[in-house]
Parts: sequence; structure tokens; C-alpha cells
Amino acid sequence: MAARILIVEDSPLVTDAFSILFRESGYDVDVAATVAQAVEVATRQTPDVILLDISLPDGDGLDVLAQLRERNALPRATLAMTGHGDARSRQKCIDAGCAEVLLKPLSIGELLRRIERHLA
Amino acid sequence: MTMTHHVSDAGQSKRLKALEAKAADAQKTIDELRSRDALKTQFLSNISHDLRTPLAAIITHAEILRDGMLGELNQKQRDSVTGIVNGGQQLLDMIDEILTYVRSASDQVSLARTEFPIAELADQVKLLNQPLAAKKHITIERLNGDDLPSVYADRDKIKHVLANLIGNAIKFTNDGGRAWVSFARRGAEGEELVVEVGDTGRGIAPNHYDLIFQEFAQVDASPSRAHHGTGLGLAIARRLVELHNGTIWVESQMGKGSRFFFTLPLNAPRE
Repeated sequence: MAARILIVEDSPLVTDAFSILFRESGYDVDVAATVAQAVEVATRQTPDVILLDISLPDGDGLDVLAQLRERNALPRATLAMTGHGDARSRQKCIDAGCAEVLLKPLSIGELLRRIERHLA
Repeated sequence: MTMTHHVSDAGQSKRLKALEAKAADAQKTIDELRSRDALKTQFLSNISHDLRTPLAAIITHAEILRDGMLGELNQKQRDSVTGIVNGGQQLLDMIDEILTYVRSASDQVSLARTEFPIAELADQVKLLNQPLAAKKHITIERLNGDDLPSVYADRDKIKHVLANLIGNAIKFTNDGGRAWVSFARRGAEGEELVVEVGDTGRGIAPNHYDLIFQEFAQVDASPSRAHHGTGLGLAIARRLVELHNGTIWVESQMGKGSRFFFTLPLNAPRE
């Protein structure tokens, strides 16, 4: 069975590009654009991996993790995506339970490798 | 006597009032300029962020095409799509530089200091620049620094400064040249660390020594110039060094090369 990936990102331009990338790489793909949507989709679809944008229109992306933890619906790995590379915001993501922090932008090869590493 | 005294008193207090009014006007102008500057900074920050998102999507789509995920391309198609990826990445780098500049220019920027070995950091930056250097057959060396005490500074920001200086050294040095990083201590008790990034490149004319650290300044600003960029790299480096209470400067000989230096206090007060 194909691994399932949830892309949480508010720009449809980015989710479109990532959806093509992951579908063509053999993943089942869901998308969500807000914290509320992400929690709802993740609870229903139980993705293996969540690719999580940190800044979302209705709140901090890390809130998704807190809410999923309460519902006992955490994925195998959550990879945070952020544009800010500073040590503090990286640490904040790790403390919230992200397996890894990806600094945007990432080449598609690198992105796929990082995700596969967490599914191995 | 008393009369004169009164007159002069009145005159003085009138002059004082006029001066106070002028000072208040000046303060008003300063406040206005400050708030306009803050608005401009916010605007630059927002627009850089908003430019980034669609550009990142364009690059991802182009990479998907380039890597044949939607079907194999012939060589010409692949070269063309590779051009989109490379051009997009260059543009993204420039937008990132503007964002970094805006962040470093705003008052909210703070240092997250930790202790770290700076020689190791230099090696990391060197490694990151190796592919670019190899392309131009430029060697990068770290000449010393194994025995230095740890510095207490913002690692990410110092990494940015080193990356900028080493990147420039490679950019402005011809094929087969040399670039290096070295360290020295100065002050009565060696309390100041001087970091040097040198190269055997084209050099910088003395009348440009100050200019290159100014925002948006480029030695050659003509549209036909050989090197394009935002002209913000060294201005950012200067701000980041100054945030650490250090200084940055250049010494150079035209045609022979340049040596950029920056200082970091080794005994910065611990938080």
C-alpha cells in the first residue's frame, strides 16, 4: 500500500506543485490549507507523514501537532517547513514534536529523500 | 537696571520658546520619518515573503519537469527547463537576501548567542562553497584556528557573514585562484578575535572601501555589469558584525586580491 502524505500549506500554488511531485513519486496525497482543516483531514485519513507549513492563516502550524496529540492521531513523522532558519524557530518545531525542520526552499530530490528516510 | 534686566529676560525667554518650538518640530519630523521607515521595512518584508511563495512553486514545477517525472525530456528541453530552475533559484537567493537585510535592519533583531568553535563553522561554510569553488578551480583553505577558544555569538548570523565573504571571494576571483580563512587575536589579553577572509581576486579600489559596505551599493552598478546581485550582501554582513559589537573592513591591492576582516569580542558578557 502506498504511503500517505498530508501537505499542510496555505498557498495553492505550492500545494499543487507538491501534489504532482508526491503523486508522481507514488504517494497518496491529501492537502489542507488551515490548522482546522489539517486536524480534520489528518484525523480522518491518518497520513504516514505530514509536511507542515509553520505559518497558516488561522494560526501556528505547530498547533496541528498539539491537537493531533490530544486525539491520539499523530503521524509517523511530521516535517516542518519554514522560511526562517534561525536556531530558535528550529528548536521550537523540534520541541513541538516535529521529526525534522526543512528550510524552504528544498530541491525536490532532497525533499523526497528526507521524507523517504522517515518512512523507512 | 531692573528694567533692562526684565527686557533681556523677556527676550531670552522668547528665544528659548522659539528654540523649544523648533526642537519640537524637529522631533515631529524625526518621528514621522521613523514611522515611514518602519512602514517601508514592513512593506519590503511582506513583499519579499509574498514573492517567495509563487517563485518556489515555479521552481518545484520546473524541477518535476526537468527530472522527467512527467515523461522523459529530450536534451534541448531538459537544458531549457534547467534554465528555468537556475534562474528561479538565483532570483530566490536575491529575495532571501532582501529579507535577511530587512530583518537585520529592523530594530527587533536579536542575537541568540551560544558558545561554538568558529573554526568548525568556517569549515562548514567552506564545504558548502566547495562545489562552486571547484567549478572555477579555486582552492579554499583554512590556515589556522584549531586552538582558538570558543566564541560566544549568534552562530547563524556569523555563519551568514562567513558565507557572504567566502561566496564573494569565489565570485570575484578568477579561475585557478586562491581563497582562505584565517584567525588572529588582538588586544592586550587577546580578547578580540580577528577573522580574515582573503582571496587572490581582482581587488577593490581604495575609494570603494567604504562604499561596498553601504546598502544597495555596487562598485559597478551599470546594467551591463558582469556581476549581478542585490548589493546587500556586505551591508548585511556589516550589520550582523556590528550587532556583535564588532567591526568589518577590507584591505586590498588592485589585481592582487582582497582581504576582508571582521572582529568578534572573545569575552562577550554571558547572558
